[in-house]
Amino acid sequence: MIIGQLTVSGAAMGLVYALVAYGFQMTYATSESINFGQGELLMVSTFLALSLSNLGVPYPLVVPAGLLIGALLGLFVERTAVRFALEQRNENWILTTIIFGLFAVSAAENIWGTDDVPFPTPIPQNAVNIGGGVTVTPVEISVAVGVFLVMVLVELFRRRTLLGKAVEAVSADRDAAELMGISATTAIAVSYALSGAVAAFAGILVAPITSVGPNMAASLILKAFSVAVVAGLRSGTGVALVGVALGVIESLTAFYIGSGWRDAPGLILLILALAMRPNGIFGKAAIRKV
Amino acid sequence: MKIARPLILAGAMAGLLASHAHAAGRTFNLAITGPFSGGSAPMGISMRDGVMLAVNQINAKGGIDVGGKMEKIHVIERDDEGQNQRGALVAQELASMPGLSAVIGTVNTGVAIAGDKFLQAAHIVKLVTPSSGTAAMSQWDKPSVKSLYMFRFSAQDGIQSSMVVEQAAKMGFTKVAIFNDTTNYGVSGRDDLMRKIKANGHIKVVDHEEFNIGEKDMTAQVLRARAAGAQAILIWGIGPELAAVANEMGKIGYHVPLIGGWTLSMSNFLDNAGKNANGTMTPQSFIQDPVNPIVAKFIKEYQTAYHVKVMPSPMSAAEGYDAMLVLAAAVHQAGSNDPTRIRNALEDLKTPVTGVIATWKHPYSKWNWKDPMSHEAFRRDDVVMGMVKNGRIVYANASEREREAKRR
Repeated sequence: MIIGQLTVSGAAMGLVYALVAYGFQMTYATSESINFGQGELLMVSTFLALSLSNLGVPYPLVVPAGLLIGALLGLFVERTAVRFALEQRNENWILTTIIFGLFAVSAAENIWGTDDVPFPTPIPQNAVNIGGGVTVTPVEISVAVGVFLVMVLVELFRRRTLLGKAVEAVSADRDAAELMGISATTAIAVSYALSGAVAAFAGILVAPITSVGPNMAASLILKAFSVAVVAGLRSGTGVALVGVALGVIESLTAFYIGSGWRDAPGLILLILALAMRPNGIFGKAAIRKV
Repeated sequence: MKIARPLILAGAMAGLLASHAHAAGRTFNLAITGPFSGGSAPMGISMRDGVMLAVNQINAKGGIDVGGKMEKIHVIERDDEGQNQRGALVAQELASMPGLSAVIGTVNTGVAIAGDKFLQAAHIVKLVTPSSGTAAMSQWDKPSVKSLYMFRFSAQDGIQSSMVVEQAAKMGFTKVAIFNDTTNYGVSGRDDLMRKIKANGHIKVVDHEEFNIGEKDMTAQVLRARAAGAQAILIWGIGPELAAVANEMGKIGYHVPLIGGWTLSMSNFLDNAGKNANGTMTPQSFIQDPVNPIVAKFIKEYQTAYHVKVMPSPMSAAEGYDAMLVLAAAVHQAGSNDPTRIRNALEDLKTPVTGVIATWKHPYSKWNWKDPMSHEAFRRDDVVMGMVKNGRIVYANASEREREAKRR
């Protein structure tokens, strides 16, 4: 019964790691770049969604608005912090995205204050018993449903729409795609918008559990990054599995070994993965022509 | 370079203007430090606002009478972000600031440990408020410290931990779990609790859990406490994580009292834990309840000055306010801006100071490393037990509320 409870709670947290990690993968697939300010993007989107909610916008509208905000912020980051570095073919996007993140934290502290504030949700907070004494809150269920929903939607977009197929093509082979008349720049911008929307969604889903504050994503983003690297930066199903596994392992470690050891398994996994499978458990070995 | 030059010029001009303003009349230079951002910000900001309320009231009356001349209080603010390294940098900067007489502030125990040594070495008086961790002051309990410029002005953890353990015993608990965060504050609080529990003799610690700042998922910790059969959780941590623990307890239906340090009165605990916070008990030096005219006046003034209904951390605000009144009285008695004279005056304050928490009669005495209470202002009677009721802290015991009401 205790294992059941630990598994359920850990899995819910793990799915959030997975969702953020999924956002990392999207931009990496098209441009081999990552927004290191993704956590801050998530935080700013969630705060903006909260502001809308405080203005009286109903929750069913707050969610799509939040996604839109996330997408716009993603586009903004791509246009201002990433594109020039990609054009110059250097790695300066690492620094610029980190700077954007730092700027976002300061801005958020000045606009919304430094305090952690609750995020109102119409989803009831009362836990329900799902058998065997294991309790789960409807908010946790909403996290699980939301994560799968968004992953399915994104996969459908990539496989069924023209724009999505363009993104896929650029991910598969940028040069070949460009020769076919697909604009890699547009595809990369779209991937950043999608990534931003996914991060915003993760923020809105998790905020009722974690509350909203300028530093809400600091630890989340580190875990998500581990998940993305361990799973491999190109596997969608991989991140979901690794994310859940990490969440559950953390939860079990904290219970059976001690709460001070909670973060240890994630770091050990990261080191092992980097040493033994640098392309991730679900990644394909890169073929390098010399 | 093109941009840099006008900036330097502007900086130099601002500096000139500032020094000119100083020359207009002698001022008493005071620094306020604390976390004005980050998870401890509600305490830091409330403390600052409490100090500033007193400063503005004193300045409105012309300032402090220092040896027959009225001196306005000039305030310098520094944000230590609740981070030890940053706190050390801030203290170093203040230690080398010419003309600085005193500092009020510090919320985080670790910041006091990292920074206060610089102020002590520079002989600058500091009123440590509202930091309550034992380790913040116990660093001075050694024979080599012959004189001390650090004075604590807060309901320190020594008192608080006794009250928490007393409360658990009073409620008839024999098996408790101890929860603490991994900061200096949490660890120091855990050690205090362990000592007091050992002294009590009837209570057994059946489980011990730790959590990090920023940790949101407390499932494992709370499940372990329940599995161990703890009848209450004694806790030392900061608002957001305290709320995560209370919410987890609510979620798995583990309804035992949460009893712990004064941080359980932080707005970010009360707001985020909502109804799961009800029944939580915590020692308080000040409760936002107008029990007597002085308290009522203070609450009203604070609300008007800062346009808030609920103080983010009432205790920090009240401690900051009273600390400023005590410091002003000492400066007046010293008749000088010289920190050493102010220190001597604080150690032998002749006239009682009517504060919102208590009437401070001779709060400190000459520093004696064998008796750390010589630089502690608060005693057991200055602290009451508070209880969370629908997002507010109320008096847990009617008798203590009556005592406060009758205080004057």
